[in-house]
Amino acid sequence: MPSLARVISTHLFICLAFWPLFSAADSFVSQIRQANVIYTGSHFHIQTQIDYQLSPTAKEALHKGIPLTWRVRIQIRKIGKLWDSTLSEQSLPYRLRFHALLNQYEVLKPDKENEMFLTLNAALGFMSSLQDSNPVSADLLRSNQRYKLAIKCQFDRESLPVPLRPFAYLDSQWFLSSDWYLWPIQK
Amino acid sequence: MAYSKIKLPASASILTLFGFILLSLQLMSSSTQESSELSEMHSWLLVINTLGSITLLILVVVNAYSLVRELKKKEAGSRLTTRMVSLFVLLALAPAAIVFYFSVQFLHQGIDSWFNVEIDRAMDDALELSQSSLAQRMNWHIKQTRQIAERLADKSDTLMALEIGSLWAESGAMEIAAFSSQGLILASSSANPSVILPHLPDEQIWLQLRQNKEYFAFDPGDNDDMMARIILPIGRDQSRYLQVLYPIPIRVSDLADSIEFAFIRYQEMTFLRSSLKTSFSLILLLVLLLSLLAAIWVAFISIRNIVAPVKELVKGTQAVADGDYKQQLPVMNQDDLGFLVESFNQMTKRIARSRDETRIAGLEVENQRAYLETILANLTAGVISFDASFNIRTANQAAYRILHVPVSHFVSQSLSTLASKHSELADVLEAIQHLLENADDIWEQRIVFLGPNGRQELLCRGTPLFLQDGSRMGAVVVFDDVTDLIQAQKNAAWGEVARRLAHEIKNPLTPIQLSAERLQHKLAKELPEPSAEFLQRGTRTIVQQVEAMKRMVDDFAEYARPSKKHVGKLNLIDLIQEVLALYQPSGIAFQSSFASRRVIVEADPVSIRQVLHNLIKNAQEATTEKCLVHIKINKAVRNNTDYVEMGIYDNGSGLHGDQIETIFEPYVTSKAKGTGLGLAIVKKIVEEHGGVIWVDTSYNAGAGFVIQLPVFEFGNSE
Repeated sequence: MPSLARVISTHLFICLAFWPLFSAADSFVSQIRQANVIYTGSHFHIQTQIDYQLSPTAKEALHKGIPLTWRVRIQIRKIGKLWDSTLSEQSLPYRLRFHALLNQYEVLKPDKENEMFLTLNAALGFMSSLQDSNPVSADLLRSNQRYKLAIKCQFDRESLPVPLRPFAYLDSQWFLSSDWYLWPIQK
Repeated sequence: MAYSKIKLPASASILTLFGFILLSLQLMSSSTQESSELSEMHSWLLVINTLGSITLLILVVVNAYSLVRELKKKEAGSRLTTRMVSLFVLLALAPAAIVFYFSVQFLHQGIDSWFNVEIDRAMDDALELSQSSLAQRMNWHIKQTRQIAERLADKSDTLMALEIGSLWAESGAMEIAAFSSQGLILASSSANPSVILPHLPDEQIWLQLRQNKEYFAFDPGDNDDMMARIILPIGRDQSRYLQVLYPIPIRVSDLADSIEFAFIRYQEMTFLRSSLKTSFSLILLLVLLLSLLAAIWVAFISIRNIVAPVKELVKGTQAVADGDYKQQLPVMNQDDLGFLVESFNQMTKRIARSRDETRIAGLEVENQRAYLETILANLTAGVISFDASFNIRTANQAAYRILHVPVSHFVSQSLSTLASKHSELADVLEAIQHLLENADDIWEQRIVFLGPNGRQELLCRGTPLFLQDGSRMGAVVVFDDVTDLIQAQKNAAWGEVARRLAHEIKNPLTPIQLSAERLQHKLAKELPEPSAEFLQRGTRTIVQQVEAMKRMVDDFAEYARPSKKHVGKLNLIDLIQEVLALYQPSGIAFQSSFASRRVIVEADPVSIRQVLHNLIKNAQEATTEKCLVHIKINKAVRNNTDYVEMGIYDNGSGLHGDQIETIFEPYVTSKAKGTGLGLAIVKKIVEEHGGVIWVDTSYNAGAGFVIQLPVFEFGNSE
């Protein structure tokens, strides 16, 4: 019994120790290239540039008619002594879909409007610029307080077909979300 | 009590658990349907069920580990539990594994049957057909548009605005518009009069337009319909563009959508083929695991509940085997095992009661035995019991005191064995043995023997013991040392004789003597010389004999009368040496060996001197040649009392067997002269001082006497 426990614990330790290496072997995560906060006196307008990447599996799924959805999450966080608190959050969903008949790519924007593109790059390029984001009211922020703008482009695995979801959590081909990107902002 | 009220029954808990598991599995099953609202919770349900399986696995492993530990410790009921659990797991696992294997096989085959080459080709062909149809329509619209553009090529913007309406009507387009390369609308016409602004191209279309000089594509319409957008340059300078939007017939659009939907759906299924198999297999495995683990866990609980009474029974049996009869086991259920436990409890109760009764009876018997033993031990009479083979069973302390032999050490041995070890008791033991073997009834006999302290006389009474069936089970012999009693009776008789002698004989002697002296006095002068001399001789003889008889009577009276003694502490060694000094001139050779020079006794020195004188005189008179007297002084312990043992040995003629028995009685003497009272007086004095005297029969070189007197202080050895 002790020897079995030792073997299991050893294997578990090896898996956990080398997990980052396995997961980072082929990285297809999105990246937030830049973010601009434009203060207009009453509101903060946020602009970002996102680089979407598709893994071969994701690309194949897209061309097989499976729509892919990303959610651009934008948060304004108040910097605290121990932890940060979220003042406002908005989630902007972008859905990319391939129309086999028309051989075009459709992007469904957060405002539910769709755009058709002849190429995948055109569709991804369209998605890279943040659109339809709500400006953040300046009243939320105080002048003597420090804040952070946090942006993350999160791939929505739950929008995938049910049979694909468990594997999307385990397969690095489906690790398409970006990390949180943080920028300090001040009123 | 309160706890038992709120405690759910095990069966209810188990039913609840299985209800939860079924609900969870049903939810997970439903969530696999895309159309189900639960599909959004699929991942969570999967995680919950996986966690549930892990929890159950941990519970099963913990139970199994606990069972293995119990098995190693050889705890009661562990083997039965292991056997039942193993059997259950085997019975549950085997069919479940078979069902799972074939279910997975059927599942995979079922999914694979959805796909085949013909459907693949048909779907591709249908899509291609749709695309060809649309492409053909698009080519025709491009050609139409190109003709319109050529007709507008040489028109100014104003003319173009005037003419575009008729062109729209001719073409049958949905909308027609002309705009500059900067995006300025030059002219437009639409089938919908409410549309003021035409559908201008967006940035993407402009980008392609700048790259390819022309643009044509199918766009989704406003009302889920489809339209063909064609943009071509007007003329060669590409400063103006013509955009024509042609509607696609609804029927064509619906058919195209239907084909696209079916194709996409089929493509999606093809892509998800392996995922579907794995996912469904995973869910099936999860269902199997959850059900099986829950069943095994419940089996552990149920089997433990079933085995619990057996376990208690085993523990109880072990306790009973170890002698604990107070075991009462809890009756958990009114079933067969409950009945068994109740029977066990009744059995232990009865055993405990019987044990207690036996113990009480045993204690009573033991008390009786101890009581009898105490009585026997404190009896002055010796008691020896014998079994049917006349082997000694018990002997009390008095037997040892009387016989001077530890009879109790010879339990289970015969009297012959005892006699062989102690030859001095051979006569008496053989006599008793003979009486035991031959007597059928109570017998009584006096037996005389020479013990270590001299002549002893025992009064023995024997009683044969019989069982109820008349068979002999043994015998008991009670004996008492009546030596002192006999002696006292003899002494009393001699005292009576002495008193009568004094009264009947001594009283007439004085008148006889006086009469003889008067005869002498009256007739001496009157009778002639010869007669006077005869008279004188006769009267002198009478007076002398009367005097002799008086002395004899006085001596005897002296022996019979209780003497008046002045008892005090004296050193026996000094006294002996004083007496011996008196005999120095007589020529007697004395040899003395004293264990100590200080032997203090409480005694009358006059009496002790008389003892020594009598014994030394006896020795002197018994010796014909050179008289040698050896006096030994040693310490002796008898009946936990210290004694001084004085041995006086001579080299005379010694004593014969008959003499030894009567030597201490009055008027027993082997000498021609003597009253025979010497040793009788010695014995009387010694006994008056609490001592004993006996003839040392082991001494053969002459006569030997041993006297034991209580000693007050016996000094250390020299």
